[in-house]
Formats: sequence, C-alpha cells, structure tokens
Amino acid sequence: MGSQGGFGQSKEFLDLIKSIGEARSKAEEDRIVLREIETLKARLSDPNTPKFKLKEYLIRLLYVEMLGHDASFGYIHAVKMTHDDNLLLKRTGYLTVTLFLNEDHDLIILIVNTIQKDLKSDNYLVVCAALNAVCRLINEETIPAVLPQVVELLGHQKEAVRKKAVMALHRFSQRSPGSVSHLLSNFRKRLCDNDPGVMGATLCPLFDLITLDVDKYKDLVVSFVNILKQVAERRLPKSYDYHQMPAPFIQIKLLKILAVLGSGDKKASEQMYTILGDIMRKGDSTSNIGNAILYECICCVSSLHPNAKLLEAAADAISKFLKSDSHNLKYLGIAALSRLIKISPDIAEQHQLAVIDCLEDPDDTLKRKTFELLYKMTKSSNVEVIVDRMIEYMISISDNHYKTEIASRCVELAEQFAPSNQWFIQTMNKVFEHAGDLVNAKVAHNLMRLIAEGFGEDDDTADSQLRSSAVESYLRIMGEPKLPSAFLQVICWVLGEYGTADGKYSASYITGKLCDVAEAHSADDTVKAYAVTALLKIYSFEIAAGRTVDILSECQSLIEELLASNSTDLQQRAYELQAILNVDAHAVEKIMPINSTCDDIEIDKNLAFLDGYVQQSLENGAEPYIPESERSGMLSISSFMTHEDHEPSTHTLRFEAYELPKPSLPPNAPPSSTELVPVTELSYVADIFQPTTSLPSASDSAASELKLRLDGVQKKWGRAHLLLPCPTHHFKQRHCEDSK
Amino acid sequence: MGIRFVLMVNKQGQTRLAQYYEYLNVEERRALEGEIVRKCLTRTQQQCSFVEHRNYKVVYRRYASLFFLVGVDNEENELAILEFIHLLVETMDRHFGNVCELDIMFHLEKAHFMLEEMVMNGCIIETSKTNILSQIQLMERAS
Repeated sequence: MGSQGGFGQSKEFLDLIKSIGEARSKAEEDRIVLREIETLKARLSDPNTPKFKLKEYLIRLLYVEMLGHDASFGYIHAVKMTHDDNLLLKRTGYLTVTLFLNEDHDLIILIVNTIQKDLKSDNYLVVCAALNAVCRLINEETIPAVLPQVVELLGHQKEAVRKKAVMALHRFSQRSPGSVSHLLSNFRKRLCDNDPGVMGATLCPLFDLITLDVDKYKDLVVSFVNILKQVAERRLPKSYDYHQMPAPFIQIKLLKILAVLGSGDKKASEQMYTILGDIMRKGDSTSNIGNAILYECICCVSSLHPNAKLLEAAADAISKFLKSDSHNLKYLGIAALSRLIKISPDIAEQHQLAVIDCLEDPDDTLKRKTFELLYKMTKSSNVEVIVDRMIEYMISISDNHYKTEIASRCVELAEQFAPSNQWFIQTMNKVFEHAGDLVNAKVAHNLMRLIAEGFGEDDDTADSQLRSSAVESYLRIMGEPKLPSAFLQVICWVLGEYGTADGKYSASYITGKLCDVAEAHSADDTVKAYAVTALLKIYSFEIAAGRTVDILSECQSLIEELLASNSTDLQQRAYELQAILNVDAHAVEKIMPINSTCDDIEIDKNLAFLDGYVQQSLENGAEPYIPESERSGMLSISSFMTHEDHEPSTHTLRFEAYELPKPSLPPNAPPSSTELVPVTELSYVADIFQPTTSLPSASDSAASELKLRLDGVQKKWGRAHLLLPCPTHHFKQRHCEDSK
Repeated sequence: MGIRFVLMVNKQGQTRLAQYYEYLNVEERRALEGEIVRKCLTRTQQQCSFVEHRNYKVVYRRYASLFFLVGVDNEENELAILEFIHLLVETMDRHFGNVCELDIMFHLEKAHFMLEEMVMNGCIIETSKTNILSQIQLMERAS
C-alpha cells in the first residue's frame, strides 16, 4: 500500500494532499493553494533547508501549478536541485525543471552545463536522467552544446542509454534538421540494434524521416517486413507482451511505416502482402489491443497497391467492427470504411444500414466520424440525401469551429454534385440561414455569381426562372429574425438585380422590403450598403424603363440618414443614388444597365476621356499639374520614404558613445541684465569652472574650451558679494531679530 | 508524431498529473483541462472513448474517480492509445500494488518517472513493464 508515508513525507505534505483532495469548492481550493504558496515562499528562501525537504517543497510547487497558480518564484530551486549528486534528487530536479520550464525559458542556460556534465557521468542512470532533460529542454540554439556527446552515447553499452540517445537525436532533427542531416545514418544503425527497446524507439524518428522523403528509405522495406515478422512470431522477450499480443505497440508502428513506404508503389507493396495477411488472419478480435492491430492493418492495406485477398480480409474485419456493440469498435469500423472507400468504392454500400445506425446514434463522436465517411461517399446520386442530413446536423451543432467545418463541407458537396439549380439555391439558402457568417465570404460571392451567370447555359428562360424563384424565396425569408449578415447581403443583391425583373413585384414593394432590412439591421453597415445599392439599381431600372419613380417615405428617410452617415462608403452610395434620380433615362441606362453583372468594366488608367476638359482649363489659365517628384522645397512623403530607407534595417543597440556636445559660440548680444557685477575681479570663479584640459572642437572660435555659459548669469556667490548689500540681507536681519 | 499531452484529472476537475509534450502556459493548461473534463463527463459509459477537441483528439479512460486523458494527433490509432493508458495503469499497479488516486498524489514524482520512461518526444518508446520499472527500482536502491 503506498497511500501513506514512504520517503519521509512530512505531515505538512500529507495535510496538503488531504485538504486538496477534500476541497469542496474552487474558492476553498484556491485558499489552500494561496496559503501553501506563502508557506513555500518562506521555506524556500531559508538557506538551511535540508535537501530532501527541498525535494518535497518542489513537489508541492508542482501541485500549486497543476491547480492553476503561478509558482515561478520557485523555479530557481528546481534548477539548483539538478546539480545534486544524489540520483533521486537530481532526477527530481530535472523532472521539475522540465515541468516548470519550456525550452525557450531564460533559466535553461543554467541547466545546459549540468546536462553536459551529466551526459559524461560514469553512472548510466545519471546519463539517462540527463538525456530525458535533453529531450525536453534543448532547443535549436543549445543543440551544439550537447550534440557530440549524444552521438557518442548512441554506442553506449547500456541499452537504456542508447534508447534515450536515439530519442535525443530525434528531437534535434525535429528542432533543427540541418544540424543532424549528416547523422541520419545513425538511425539506420540503431534499427539493427540487439536490444528490441532501442529498435522500437528508433522506429519513431525513422517514421518521421520516411514521411518526409520516402524514396530514400525504400531499401529498408525488407528490413521492416523482417522485423515485423519476427515480432509477430513472438521472437521478442516476453516482457514486451501485452494482453497476450507480442509487442503490439511496436507492431503498430511498423505497420504505419510500411503503409507510407508501400503507398503508390506496387513492388514495395507486394513485399508486404504476406506478413499483412498473416497478421490479419491470426489477429485476435476479442481484445482491444488485438482489434487495434487489425485496424492498423486495414489502414495499411488501404494505402498499399490493391490486393484482392487483403481487401476481402479487411472488409470482413470491418463487418465485425460495425456489428459489435462496442462504440469504440463501431467508430473504428466507420474510420476504416472511410479509408477503404478510395480503393473500393462499393464497400460502403454493403454496410449502408450499419452506417445509418451510426449516423443516428446520440454519440457525437460516432456521428461526426460517420459524417466524415458520408462526405467521402458523396456522388451525384446520393448528394441530396447526404447534404440534407448534413445540414440538419449542422443546425444542431453549437461549437462554431465544427459548425464551420460542416458548413464548408456542405457547400463543397453542393457545388460539386448539385443535381439541379433549384436544389442548389435552396441548399445554399439553408446553409446561409444557419451558418452564413461562418462560411468563407467567397461562398456568398460564388452564389451571387452563379445566379448572375445562370450556370453557363444559354437558356434564358431557365435563368430567369431561377432568378424568379430566388427572389421569391428570399422575399419569404428576409423577414425572419437573426439572419446572418452574409445572407442578408446576398438577399439584397438578388433583390436589387432581379427583384423587379419578371414584373411580378412592384418597385415600391421591393424597395419597401429593402428599407425594412436596412432598418432592422441599422448597426450593420455592410448590409445597409448592399440595401442602398439595391435601391439604386431598382430606381435606375424604373427610370430606364420610362416609369416615374415613387420613393416611399421610409426610403427617403433611409437615404437622408445615409447622406449624413459617418461611413464615407454609405455616404457615397447615398449621394450616387440621389444623383441618379436626377438623370434622364438614356444616361441611366448607360450607368446602370439591366442584367450586366457579368459585363466587364473597362478602366482607363490615364483618364483619357478627361483630356478635353484639361485642355480647356489650361487654355483658361489654370496651372498645369506638377508631378510630386518634381516639386521643390516641400517636405513630400516620398522624401520621408527615402530617408527611412537610408537607416539600417536592423534596429540594434548603439554601442558607440554619443559625441560630446559641440562647444557653443559666445552670444553676440550684450547681456541684458543690468544687475551684473563685473566679471574680471572674480578670477577664482573662472578657475573652478574651467576644465584643466582643453577639448578638441570643430570651430576655431575664441571660446573653444568647454565651459559653462556664464554670460548673463548673475554672479552673486563670489567672495566679493559677502560684503555687498543684497535683498537677502534684510531677511537675515529680520530673522535674527525674531530669534532674539 | 503522436501524443500532445497526458493528464490525470479527477471528476471535480482537479489535476493530479499533467505532462505536456507541447508547451502551454499555466492559464492555457487550466482552460484546456477544464474543457476536456467537462466534455468527457457528459459522455456515457457506452459511448466512444474518443472525443474530438479543437483540431486533435482526446482519448480518455475512467478509472474510479480519475480520468486519464491523452491528447493525440489525428493520425494516431485511437484504440492503441486507449490500451496505452491501460498499460500505464497496469505499470503503476505493479509498482504501487492496487494503485489508486492517492498513490499518485503521494508519489507524484514516481508516476512522472514511469511516464518519462514510456513516452519521449510525444512517442511511445517503452512498453515493457519490466524495463520501465527497473529504472525506478534501481533509482530507489541507489538513493
């Protein structure tokens, strides 16, 4: 029983543990911890604390931080403890340092030295402790300090050391690949190490390296297959068994590696079929770990070049997973299906019922996994069903991050597989209604573009039908509360472009609706902008068609409000609207043609159409334009820019002393004060203030030495003044009188 | 590859052991631990032992009052990690004899030492209970 004592824990520690365990509320817990912090601060600052006590205090500090409080006042003690010779204390020191600090912390510098020393220790347990620390605390800058020693330790006689040295090298290659690129052959060597622990550890860095550069390691396929064979045939020591499976975690790592090596490579894949088949056949589907291995086999099979027998075995295993009562196994079944879909697309259909069950299960994790599968399974024949389900699910999600993901998936599938325009718009509407502000703005623009372009067909009737139905549905929806801004923008745009196109709705009706929207969302400038531009379009179309424009009173007040808006964008739109109202039909048609969203606007950067106007103005005596670069005498922005370019691009501390101030020239003007006593008698004053050495100066004026500028300063403190009457004299007299 | 953190948190949300393989500061940890435990508490026994969290996954297993939570990248084999948790518990069990939450609280550094032997750089590197515990035992004897 290890619940009490052992290693001389103090009563204080036991009490701390108990009270933390029994705390009934966060407030109580905080009180206990704050009290503990005060105690520890006092104890740690006592220099006479015995070392084993110090160890206990460090552990207590760990508790303080685990419960969410800052313990940085004690970090230095953890650092100090790493210097200790006692193994347990040293290792505790390293442990607490790795838990408190991170690789970029300032205190790490203090530890590097200790680590270096310990890596050279005769006691291999000390070396191990140092290697643990290396894997947590060494960063790119400190790698060179320990690299040579670590490389040497790869050949240490103790397997525990070799194993950890491999991981240290792994860490270096993660932090700074360049620093170890010449040492990668060490990983290949350790793969052949006698000790299975070292071999097993080496699989981790090898996996990373293989993922980065597959071709370099294809030659190892045979080795990996061999190792896997030996492991599966129980040639490793029994201590690696777990629940009767031989070294299952090593098997899984090997399977992952083989999957990467065999992907897209028929020859490599063929070398793996036998061992995979064996493992799957002998697999134990009654234990979790056995199923974990089976699952990993299926994942491997799905990335290899297809093999009929293996695929059949995989399908069987999946069936068993899906039929199981265990949700974990169902989850794996769905995940496995997702992987196999690419190679054998029909496999999902065999299990349709099971998949639907998972979809309807209240277990959120399972549902999500199933939706991932559905996403991969979607084709034009089932897109409607799948997307409808997905939208239903999306509506129920409260986590925005996940909602966005699902919404984007729905949009993707709709764009890719939509069976009809009608369905597409309906679907997009639903997505917008419930997740409009979460999807990428591009989606809204895509939708608008699609409605404008009419899906690329030249069938005008179909296009206008589509637009009419869009208008219809938007008019229905737009009154609903809490519509996302992006959706409202689309609605305003559609109504502006096509609201009056089919003649079903009058301009008054549409403009009235637009004003309602703008009013209901008066805080949203973007929606208001879309609304007022839509109004502009509608009025333009009315004018162009020769009808008189009847502006509703609410539209009038909206326009007036926007004319005075803080937003210049809204102001501009409102002014443009006003201007349009006063233009004749012919001009309006040119400015705002009907149905011309897809027409390109030609831009003439030289503003050539203004040449006539400019010419006329010049003839009337206007000043010609002078480009900025030719203007003189003014500080222009361009000169600021070049000035900045001349400054060094890096801001560094300046190490040269500033130049001494230049000596000042004596003023030409005579001193203005009339109360001055002549300077000449007080020669000692000049002695005190003049420096004995003369300093170099740029100017050759008479006053070339540095001295205080005494010109114009009343010199009243000289000896001569002590006998002169001065205003203070009266004060002194008075003062003396008072003290009598 | 692999493991982002290993946590042992009780159902009141008190953290008993926290090992992060990617650095997070104290506030971030507190927030993360609270979030995950809440998520796991709302799940029933029958449901999956895996939960999606942010852009990675958390594999969890409950032993009496203590949740073992392991955060893993999406490529990890979830069931294998679930069994890794059990291997960790079995290892502690062999050392402490019928391990319970109090054992971990009173011997926090030992629990950490065991985990240190098993996971480095976020990868599982030692799964032989003999090898894991021999390091601990040797150290105890040497001190």
